[in-house]
Amino acid sequence: MSRLLQKRTVDMQVIGEWVEPNSRVLDLGCGRGELMGYLVQAKHVSATGVDLDFARISACVRSGLSAYQGDMTAFMRAFPDRHFDRIICSRTVHELDDPAGVILEALRVGSTVTVGFVNHGFWKNRLDVLFRGRKVRNDVYTTPWHESRPANPLTIADFEDFCRERSIRVARRAHLLGDWRTRCPLLPNLLAGYALYDLARA
Amino acid sequence: MADDAQAPDAPAPTPRHLAGDDVGIVHARDFTHPGTFAFKSGQAIEGFTLRYETYGVLNATRDNAVLICHALSGDHHCAGWHSESDGKPGWWNNLIGPGKAVDTRRFFVVCANVLGGCQGSTGPSSADPATGRAYGTHFPFVTIRDMVNAQKLLLDHLGVSELHAVMGGSMGGMTAMLFAIEYPQFTRRQIIMASTANESAQAIAFNEVGRQAIMQDPAWNNGDYPRDGGPRVGLAIARMMAHITYLSDAGMDRKFGRRKRETAGGEAYTFDAQFEVESYLRHQGQSFINRFDANSYLYITRAIDQFDPARSYGSLEQAFAPIRAESLVVGFTSDWLFPPEQNRAIALALLRAGKRASYAELSTDLGHDSFLLESPDLYTLISGFLERSETYVFDFAI
Repeated sequence: MSRLLQKRTVDMQVIGEWVEPNSRVLDLGCGRGELMGYLVQAKHVSATGVDLDFARISACVRSGLSAYQGDMTAFMRAFPDRHFDRIICSRTVHELDDPAGVILEALRVGSTVTVGFVNHGFWKNRLDVLFRGRKVRNDVYTTPWHESRPANPLTIADFEDFCRERSIRVARRAHLLGDWRTRCPLLPNLLAGYALYDLARA
Repeated sequence: MADDAQAPDAPAPTPRHLAGDDVGIVHARDFTHPGTFAFKSGQAIEGFTLRYETYGVLNATRDNAVLICHALSGDHHCAGWHSESDGKPGWWNNLIGPGKAVDTRRFFVVCANVLGGCQGSTGPSSADPATGRAYGTHFPFVTIRDMVNAQKLLLDHLGVSELHAVMGGSMGGMTAMLFAIEYPQFTRRQIIMASTANESAQAIAFNEVGRQAIMQDPAWNNGDYPRDGGPRVGLAIARMMAHITYLSDAGMDRKFGRRKRETAGGEAYTFDAQFEVESYLRHQGQSFINRFDANSYLYITRAIDQFDPARSYGSLEQAFAPIRAESLVVGFTSDWLFPPEQNRAIALALLRAGKRASYAELSTDLGHDSFLLESPDLYTLISGFLERSETYVFDFAI
């Protein structure tokens, strides 16, 4: 398995541990349905995904998954409180127009909200900016600024601040080192490359 | 639905009945149900006939049937050619055939003209056995549910034990939806395209203008007219008006723009058709009156207007509660008759009811008729949904 492929399956491993079997899961920014497919197979969840792109929805449909093409906030507004057991927002949060709005709406519609993101406070990213003086490029963000989608990079410290300010309860955390596998023992904002959070309403 | 998805100035399609991916020459057949058929309205008729076509072969387990449901002005002829000199294939020929999105090597495809129609199935233009004359407005009021029940009798007659899928666009989507609701054990998949769970006031309004054009034509005569007569002017106007609602502003602009055709004496100040769009609509109106019955138009548009499962079953979620089928809903960005929002509403209600449902949206400029679009993206979506395996197998090779 290539290093990049390993990184792409990090959510499957950690979220796979967190997801309750047979639960009702919503994947925001579901892509081609890799994570949903894994959870359906390994945890027998009933999964629905939301994405903006037709080709990705079509790929989900071909894989036997339920997927909805459209805006994730508008989608969630169509559901009653706690309709989903878990809402997953994995490696999507930095591309949202209104991240707080999405997370708060997800906390209404889902009992648990899982957020996974690349930690831009990771020491290599800091050094990259410090010494190269250019937009961070690494395994995950390979493209120069002019070929990248608009992104709103965040750090673990940013995310912790946000949860505290909005009184969002953090039920679980997983901070992973630069290999995105080994748990980070200390100083996560500096040493962790990837972070996963399980959130609940306070 | 437009009976002519090609531009009027496009070259006539080459007959492709011998092409490898066409179903070839097909023949319509008639199914006659001998017993009393009770309509939702409480009225009944003694027996009825549905004209239908089938392509492909019903498998040994009798569960590979795909039922195609047509739109308002469509019919049972959805693929293939009626003869070697036939100028035009069935209306969904681009989608249905060997190796196509609805693969007739794999599926047994059935399509029937709806009850209340006029292409061979029993409807207002059929003879009332009691009088020997056409039913006219004495024909029972038809609902989408009556159309569904009648087609279920046909499928029973054909020996179909389970529908692999039921699918349709526009009114065909409504029919598919009711199939999944009314016969949940029988329906494994449904595809609803460019449809709605209840028409907007605007869509009802357009249907009403069409009906008024027919009923205000003196030749309508309260629905009592000879087979070769009737409200030809009214029906043509109804069709011209409705046809506009099947297209889009951008699509019409692309297809016709302000292009003019040659008038007889090059005269500019005349009410003869000058613009191509005018002659196109006149042609649509004229060709429609030669194949469609005005009373059927009244009955079927009424059935579409009245379709409202949310009202019939309490709410859309309650209506969908019995569904066991997996659902795919497809909307089209330029469809302003049954716009994406109304298609989304179907998918969202299915999901709220805890059903497996997907919604996909195609960007087109062809308006409501987009479901007839020749689009590889659409074909991939449809074939992916129809051919996916029941048990999910995850491919780790991302």
